[in-house]
Amino acid sequence: MGGFDFSNHNRNAALHAQGVPLPKATSTGTTIVGCLFDGGVVIAADTRATSGPIVADKNCEKLHYIAPQIWCAGAGTAADTEFTTAIISSNLELHALSTGRKPRVVTCMTLLKQHLFRHQGHIGAYLVVAGVDPTGAHLFTVHAHGSTDKLPYVTMGSGSLAAMSVFETQWKGKLTKDEAVKLCADAIQAGIFNDLGSGSNVDVAVITAEKTTLMRNYITPNVRERKARNYRFPKGTTAVLNEKIIKKEEISKYVTVHELEDDSVTATAETMDTS
Amino acid sequence: MAALFSGAPPQGGPGYSFKQTPTMAPSGERQHGFYPYTDNGGSTLGISGADFTIMAGDTRSTSGYNINTRYAPKLFKIGGEGPDNKGARIVLSVVGFAADGDALKERLDTIVKMYKYQHGKPMSVSACAQRLSHVLYNKRFFPYYVHAILGGIDEDGKGALYSYDPVGSYEREQCRAAGAAASLIMPFLDNQVNFKNQYEPGSGTGHDLQAKVAQPLPRDTVESIVRDAFTSAVERHIEVGDGLQMMIITPNGVEETFTPLKRD
Amino acid sequence: MMATGMLGEDGIHIDMNHLKKGEVNLGTSIMAINFKDGVILGADSRTTTGAYIANRVTDKLTQVHDTIWCCRSGSAADTQAVADIVQYHLGMYGITNNEAPTTQTAAAIFQELCYSNKDQLSAGIIIAGWDHRHGGQVYSIPLGGSLHKQSYAIGGSGSTYIYGYCDANWQEDMTEAEGVKFVKGALQEAIMWDGSSGGVIRMVVLTAKGAQRHLYLPDNGYQGPGKQ
Repeated sequence: MGGFDFSNHNRNAALHAQGVPLPKATSTGTTIVGCLFDGGVVIAADTRATSGPIVADKNCEKLHYIAPQIWCAGAGTAADTEFTTAIISSNLELHALSTGRKPRVVTCMTLLKQHLFRHQGHIGAYLVVAGVDPTGAHLFTVHAHGSTDKLPYVTMGSGSLAAMSVFETQWKGKLTKDEAVKLCADAIQAGIFNDLGSGSNVDVAVITAEKTTLMRNYITPNVRERKARNYRFPKGTTAVLNEKIIKKEEISKYVTVHELEDDSVTATAETMDTS
Repeated sequence: MAALFSGAPPQGGPGYSFKQTPTMAPSGERQHGFYPYTDNGGSTLGISGADFTIMAGDTRSTSGYNINTRYAPKLFKIGGEGPDNKGARIVLSVVGFAADGDALKERLDTIVKMYKYQHGKPMSVSACAQRLSHVLYNKRFFPYYVHAILGGIDEDGKGALYSYDPVGSYEREQCRAAGAAASLIMPFLDNQVNFKNQYEPGSGTGHDLQAKVAQPLPRDTVESIVRDAFTSAVERHIEVGDGLQMMIITPNGVEETFTPLKRD
Repeated sequence: MMATGMLGEDGIHIDMNHLKKGEVNLGTSIMAINFKDGVILGADSRTTTGAYIANRVTDKLTQVHDTIWCCRSGSAADTQAVADIVQYHLGMYGITNNEAPTTQTAAAIFQELCYSNKDQLSAGIIIAGWDHRHGGQVYSIPLGGSLHKQSYAIGGSGSTYIYGYCDANWQEDMTEAEGVKFVKGALQEAIMWDGSSGGVIRMVVLTAKGAQRHLYLPDNGYQGPGKQ
């Protein structure tokens, strides 16, 4: 059966009593927002993940898939938002399959709040749930303790105050799609620039009855600056105490070897941006 | 009450408030706390060359997840004439608790100006450095909550740099990073200024390999190392950003520059 | 952070320290009254987390059956969960017995949940409803899970400011207009003096004809002692 494994609880409690600190969880000290418009709903998020004062990920994804027409923005503990949305997405898919109907946003919201309430706030997921279903476009917030709100525009996370100040001054009823996208992007940027927990880029998702459009890195106002100096070391800079050479013929017994055309190309699985 | 919205950072996050929430003990009595220190974040660094010293610091001031201001200088000219410190040859950088930093700057500036008034000659950097150590140690049991770096030109015309702990222990160094991103910048400086972990290619094998010897770097090289250190720190530390203030101290005076940094 | 609206050791206030860190709080003014033809429920619309207003147009008047509603105060998560469970039970009751449940039944289910989980809940709930057997009825379930049938009930952090007002202005068997005026007047005072209450005044009138919603702005026509 599923559920959490508590077998380390007593050991960890003993360690904690001896003064061993808790491990630091990656938190998405975040700005996330959502806004309804005529014919759909927009959600948006920044892309910074932090561990204490250190930026853990400069371009993480905080917009999570639940169903084709239901998406979720997550703030709080990164792992909790990811696993909670994933498990609810899974349950909602099974529910849709067994009922033969498109999943509803209220159903998703109810599953989330019941899951989070059951865990009494220990699952640190703060979510903005948005989507379009046969009953229309919907927008909710779900707090870690299991309370929910239904509003035409919402913000959450450490940058929620900065973002809400944009909504409370610029929001009006009957927004067009483009106006809603602009408003949400502006709210996220308020968080990015005024809240230290938020930063980097703006991700936006637009959900209408017809389709969902995910605009990853819709705005990139914080592009990395070019370095003034070149940090390539001459060959032989690093001390080598001993070396063992494994020939191509030997290693190809275990892995597939590809020949590189150019010597200057670094042989990495992913090329790193070294600018 | 609210961990999410109060602006209070999570455990292990940046330091924040003077006041602690009164906590209710199981027995019923309330426990109050007052903490006179705040961490205002930011980072500073100093590098000394053959005939110059460069001091630098970002200009962001923070509390918790909030930005107090995007322009709060952490570099101060010490001595010289009048409130603009005309003709000063010493620069103090302070990072940590900004209010203590300001108080420390005022104290040292007054001391250096009084020295010239009383002795009829400007204070040397080495004398100023030792005096600063005493100023800090005088508050041994209620310290200035700052990491100070003092830069100038010594009596031989060489770049001089002194770094301090909050209670006055000090040392003359080639380079030093301080503040929030010190742990990110210092290893970079060790490698690029003192050539740590770098060896002369082909100078030997195994343990005979010759380590690359550090020598005073030219001014433009040091300036670009400083810029790169800060643009990198901005990428990975949330309390560093907004602007980079640099002061280059030469026997001819102090040049000051400002360059914008990322504001997120 | 000190929870706003926490006054001290007066014994009437909800112990705000009981709420877990970061929990969404309904620092509230809620009430329900009996009148000639049924009941009226009223509430402010403010939801707070510490000093921040997380929702300024909250609906704290929650339907648990056709003409049985409740006013929620305390933790938003706890009261929503309890109301959802009661709504489920009353829905089942209505279907299996082919007859609408009474307000008393609803209140008893609320009490069962609030009392048996008293250590884990911070929920102060007022239940009001209209049914064919008893007409209008008002019940109150404060923090410990006790159940009180009352002619009118007030609750939440803002209620401490309006005990005097309600006592002085209460009359049995008011008309609907008089009842609405009474509730509006009381909540205007509660919102005026309690920092954790605010927003708009929501009301629900429950009679034989069903449920009817009202919405008022708290400073519209305010003539009380807090007038500028």
